[in-house]
Amino acid sequence: MSSLLIKNANIAAEDSDDLSKADVLVENGIITGIGKGLDAAGDTRVIDASGKVLAPAMFDTHIHMREPGQEAKETIKSGTEAAINGGVTGVVLMPNTSPAIDSAAVVRTIYDIAERDSRIPVYTSGCITKGREGKELAGIDGMLQLGVKMLTDDGDAVPDMLLLKRAMEYASEFDCFFASHCEVLELSGPRALNEGVVSCRLGIQGTPACSEEICMDRDIRLAHATGARIHIQHVSSKIGMETIRWWKQMGAKVTAEVSPHHLLFNEEDIGNYNTHYKMNPPLRTAEDNAALLQGLKEGVFDIIATDHAPHTPFEKAQDFVSAPNGITGLETAVVSLFHHYINKGEFGWGLLVNRYSAAPRRMMGLDPVPVVEGGRAEFILFDPQGSTTFTAEYMESKSQNTPFLDKTLDGSIDLVVLGEEVLLER
Amino acid sequence: MTRKDLLDIESLSREEIEHLLDQAGPFKELFARSVKKVPALKGKSVLTLFYEPSTRTLSSFEVAAKRLSADVTTFDVPHSSVVKGESLRDTIATLQAMRTDYIIVRNKMAGIPLAIARATRASVINAGDGAHAHPTQALLDGFTFKEVFPEPAGKKILVVGDILHSRVARSTTTLMRKLGVEVAWLGPGSLVPKHGPRDVKRFTDYDEAMKWSPDTIYLLRVQMERQTAPFFPSLREYTKLYGVTQERFKRIADQGTYIMHPGPVNRGVELCDDVMEYERCLIDQQVENGIAARMAVLYWLKPQSVLGD
Repeated sequence: MSSLLIKNANIAAEDSDDLSKADVLVENGIITGIGKGLDAAGDTRVIDASGKVLAPAMFDTHIHMREPGQEAKETIKSGTEAAINGGVTGVVLMPNTSPAIDSAAVVRTIYDIAERDSRIPVYTSGCITKGREGKELAGIDGMLQLGVKMLTDDGDAVPDMLLLKRAMEYASEFDCFFASHCEVLELSGPRALNEGVVSCRLGIQGTPACSEEICMDRDIRLAHATGARIHIQHVSSKIGMETIRWWKQMGAKVTAEVSPHHLLFNEEDIGNYNTHYKMNPPLRTAEDNAALLQGLKEGVFDIIATDHAPHTPFEKAQDFVSAPNGITGLETAVVSLFHHYINKGEFGWGLLVNRYSAAPRRMMGLDPVPVVEGGRAEFILFDPQGSTTFTAEYMESKSQNTPFLDKTLDGSIDLVVLGEEVLLER
Repeated sequence: MTRKDLLDIESLSREEIEHLLDQAGPFKELFARSVKKVPALKGKSVLTLFYEPSTRTLSSFEVAAKRLSADVTTFDVPHSSVVKGESLRDTIATLQAMRTDYIIVRNKMAGIPLAIARATRASVINAGDGAHAHPTQALLDGFTFKEVFPEPAGKKILVVGDILHSRVARSTTTLMRKLGVEVAWLGPGSLVPKHGPRDVKRFTDYDEAMKWSPDTIYLLRVQMERQTAPFFPSLREYTKLYGVTQERFKRIADQGTYIMHPGPVNRGVELCDDVMEYERCLIDQQVENGIAARMAVLYWLKPQSVLGD
C-alpha cells in the first residue's frame, strides 16, 4: 500500500463521544492529511467511508494463545489472526502455557514464534513464580530485560502472601507491574460457577464473589505496602469494583480491567449447563452486570480486556464441572460492545477507544494510536449499519467456544490497517 | 406428550408429572397379582450405568424394567471412577454400539446424564447426578404423597437435613412445588442454601419449623461421606438440634404428621427407632412405589430409535 484515501470517515477519538467527519489520507503507513475534500494522486486507493466510523485499532492485554503446549486450542498464528478479525492490532499474552512463560528463554521463544507467524505486535507477560507453582520466584530480571512489563501467575493467584510480598519488594523498583487473578482457593470449590441461585439449582458448589474480593483486597494491600504497581484482572463483582474504587481513593497505584462477558452475561445464562458461559471468575448476577457497567463508565475500570481463552469443542462438550473455564473474546469484543452499548446509547465511541485502545497501550508503556495528522496508521473502519454473524467460518480462532457462536449482531469491522499494511478488508 | 429422556423435574410440566403419577397407579395394582409382569417393553434393552454405589435405586430400576419384560444389563463400572473427558466419550460410544434402548445412569458429577443424553439415541434416565437431580425419587415421593393426600395443593411438607448436598431435596422440592404443595427446608445454616427457590421457606430452628405445622416431614439421610469439610460440629449435636428424637416423635405422632425418608436411614441420627414402627411412617410405601413410578417412566419415555430422527 503506497497511499490510501478514506473519504467521509467519522473519526472516533478517546474520551469524546463526538465523531468528526473528515477525509483521511495515509501515505507509507503515516497519516499525512485529515480534512474536508482531500484529493488524491492518481495511484491512491480511495475508500468511501460514508456512515462508517474510523477508530484507533484496539489493544488487548489479556490473551491466552496456548502456544507453546496446547496448540490444538490456539496458536500465536491463529490467535493473532483472530485479533485482526476483531480489530485488535496488539496483544499481551498470559503466561499459563506449557512450559509456562517464566524465564527469558521462553519469552525469547514466544518472540521468535510471533516474528515468524504474526502480522501484529505480540507482547507477553511473565510469571511471578516458577512454573506458576507459587513456590519460587521466576527469572524476573531476564524477562524484564526482554521487555516484559507485566508479571502475573494468571489462571491462579499467588497463594503464599509472603512470597508475593517479596516478589513485589524485589521487582517494584524495576519498570514493571503486577497483574492479579484474584481467588482464594479454599473458598472456590470446583471453580465452576458463581455461588447463587444457579449453583443451588444445578447442584454444583459455587464460588462466592468474596473468594475474588478477599484476594483482590489482599493483593492491592500488599502492593500498596510495598510500593508496587498492581493491575486487577477480570473483575466480576460489584463489591470487587467498589474495592478498587476505594483503593484508588486511598491513592494506591492500582488499575483494573473488566471483560465484555462479565458486563454482558450473568449466571442465569448458564441455563441447563451451557459451558459457553463457564469461566473463571464466574459470571455473577444481573446486579453485578449493572455495577460493572457503572464502574466502566466512571473510570473505576481503566481498561477492557477479553481474557480470550480458547478451548476445543471436545473439551467444552464435557459435563459442566469437567469442562475447562474460559471463552474466546478477541473476535467478538468490539462488535458485541457496539451492539449492546454504543448502539443503545449506553456509552460512546470515546469510551471504547479509551478503554480498549489508548489506556491498555499506555498501561504497557506504549503510545496510543489516535487518528491524527503525522500519526501512524493503525485503525479500523467500522460499519454501524452492517451486521456480523459469528459462524465457525467467520472466526479465525482455532476454537469457537463463545456464546456468540452463530449469533448475528449489529455492526461490522470492514477494514483493519496497520502501518503500510491492510490487515483485513471485508 | 413424549420425551426421550428424564433428566430432572425442572423441565417437566405439571401435566407431565400428573400423567406419570396417574400411570404409576395401575402398575402398582399389578404387584398384588401372582403374575407381576406385563409385556410392555418386551424385546427392549435397559442398561444400568451406576458410577456410585447403590442398592435400593439400582434394584428398584431392575425390578421395574423386568416387570415390563425388558432385558436388563448391568454395565459394570468402578464406583470410584469419575467419568470425564475421553472416558465418558468412549463409554457413550460403547453404549451406542450396543444399541441399548434405555440407559439409567447415576454419577457423582452434576450434569453427566445430560452430557450422555445429548450424545446417544437411547432414552437416558437420571438415577441421581451429584447434588443436582434425582427425578424418579421425586416421582415416587409425589406418588406416595398423593396416596395420602389425593388433593396435594395447599398441603405442607418440611424437608429436613443436608439440603446442600441433596439431589433428592432438590428434585422432590421442585416436584412438590409444581403440585402446589408448600415446601420448607430445615437444617443447619451451613447445609441449607440461602439461594433456594423464593417460595421455599428456610428454617434453621426445629421449633420454628414445627410452628409452621407441616403435614409431612421429609427426613434426609445425613450424608457424612459427601462432606469435604465439617458442616456441623458432631452427629450428636445434629441429632440434638434436628433429629426426630423420642421426645420430638411423641409430639409428631400426637399431631398425626406423616414421615417420609428416601432411605437408607441412619437410626439414632436423623430419626429414632420408634419412627420406623409409626403407622404414618411412609418409608416402606416409598420403596414399593419406587418400582411403580419407575415402570411409569420407562413406559412413558421414547428412545430416538423408536421416535426416528
